Amino acid sequence: MIETETFTQTKKTKGEIMSGRVIVITSGKGGVGKTTTNANIGTALAKAGKKVVMIDTDLGLRNLDLLLGLENRIVYTIVDVVEERCKLKQALVKDKKNPNLCLLAAAQTRDKSAVTQEQLKDICKKLQKDFDYVLVDCPAGIEQGFQNAVAGATEAIIVTTPEMSAVRDADRIIGLLESKEEIQSYKLLLNRVRPNLVKSNDMMSVDDVVEILSAELIGIIPEDTGIITSTNKGEPIVNDEKSLAGRAYHNVAKRIMGEEIPFMNLEEETSVVAKVKKFFSGLVGKEKK
Amino acid sequence: MDKGYIENGFIVDVSNANKTSEIIYELSNVLDLPDAQCKKVCLKLGGIDLNSSQLTSIKALVESMNSELEFISTTSEQTKESADSLGVSIKEFENKIPMPEFNAEDDTINAELEKALDKIFGDNPEELESNVFNQGYRTIETEDYLYEELEEEKTVSEDENSEVNNESEQIENIIEEEISLEDIKEYTKETEKLPTLYIQRTIRSGQSITSKGNMVIIGDVHPGSEIIAAGDITIWGILGGIAHAGSEGNKFAKIRALKMNAIQLRIADVFARRPDNINIPYIQKTDTFVPEEASVRKKQIIIRKIHEGVNI
Repeated sequence: MIETETFTQTKKTKGEIMSGRVIVITSGKGGVGKTTTNANIGTALAKAGKKVVMIDTDLGLRNLDLLLGLENRIVYTIVDVVEERCKLKQALVKDKKNPNLCLLAAAQTRDKSAVTQEQLKDICKKLQKDFDYVLVDCPAGIEQGFQNAVAGATEAIIVTTPEMSAVRDADRIIGLLESKEEIQSYKLLLNRVRPNLVKSNDMMSVDDVVEILSAELIGIIPEDTGIITSTNKGEPIVNDEKSLAGRAYHNVAKRIMGEEIPFMNLEEETSVVAKVKKFFSGLVGKEKK
Repeated sequence: MDKGYIENGFIVDVSNANKTSEIIYELSNVLDLPDAQCKKVCLKLGGIDLNSSQLTSIKALVESMNSELEFISTTSEQTKESADSLGVSIKEFENKIPMPEFNAEDDTINAELEKALDKIFGDNPEELESNVFNQGYRTIETEDYLYEELEEEKTVSEDENSEVNNESEQIENIIEEEISLEDIKEYTKETEKLPTLYIQRTIRSGQSITSKGNMVIIGDVHPGSEIIAAGDITIWGILGGIAHAGSEGNKFAKIRALKMNAIQLRIADVFARRPDNINIPYIQKTDTFVPEEASVRKKQIIIRKIHEGVNI
């Protein structure tokens, strides 16, 4: 037991026991894209050849299975595992496309109290042995659901949007995470950034948010309408190579794996469309004058 | 007051009217309805006194609207007299709704049942296929899960249970082959004896209902909810959640719904999931529904439209 505990601190072990990283994806505020981020990072990591398992800890309000399109395959949930109605690996649902990717679904008909912190810790420890990455999807809020999700993790990704309320909640979450000994590092993921609004000073810029939270950034995801369709279809947007948000998520996954990837310059990426729009708007403006 | 019943016609109750003009107004309103064309009309007059000229004008009105005055019911002597003089028949309403009589003998029923069984479990599947409508529901297979990684545990359990497994498989095969009339009859009897839970509301996401008997739900079952019953499940609405019939091992259990859109269907130990390519975010409730029934055949869940197949 002592041995495995020391292994959790290292990223990769060369010994026989494989020890994966347990990363919790959290935000405090709801609706900022925790679950979307989880589904996409998980899929991107699996596409890069890593063995990934995602744990949905949002008991009673599960969504991760919907985003992955695995809703119809769920037979056993995390509560069944905890209450010993099935073995842990029986409850792991394989992804439709990528056999490296697995999901441990939350129970829809129970509430957060059905699983304790210790039980989740135990599950994470077991999964660490077989997977490179264990991604824990955290429910909104800072109550028991959050405490459970964080219990087994050693790293955290805090998802936030460039809005004051989300940033404030993220600040609270960082405070809570810092007080936990198990969490060794945390990083910030800025979601739903709209370069146009940032440019016109209507939205906080990436630098502003990083300055307020004084946390290390792991990714910037632009606002993308493709997310809506991908959510409805049950297919993560990283499967769409053309999508901007999909590429941004791929970059995040690469950074998690330790590669050094420069941040995407969102203004440049949209420049072609923006230039055309500007050109036309300029023409129209002149005509009107 | 007795409402009465009449075949291929309708009754107009004007016994509350005070004047003849009110009767005529009421009648013309009713006869103007599209449903009222070319049907028999019966007038309920109660105690209203009508002379023959008034009754004549009423009769003329009914006939002018393409209908026919079948008979009247009245308690007034004067009205009776004027009806007699005009040749309109007077009758009292029968308050009995005719019911179809059912007096087939046991043998005929059994013969019907046998025919039905042949169709479902018999050796001519061609006929069956036209009735089967399984919407591409797929039995959940082990390949969806990480069973193969259970190797260590698997080998141990196989060594212990290999003999038992073989035996139980054989028994299952026998059951599959020999589904007799008696089995179905017994099942029907047993299910009928079970207590039935009757629920009259919408079952929403996160709600779970478990019953040791049958279950009847009047309302929709939304995705994210689960319904588990030891007997049959009947849903008068759209089934969108997970339904598990025969949860205590009854393979003859059935799930019926006005519309099957279930994420998973489970009968006894057979599980089936909705195909991935079917993505119905919501079902328009104005659609015409054809009731569907799910049952187990040869270890697979099949769904058929109730009116097409043979119903047992």
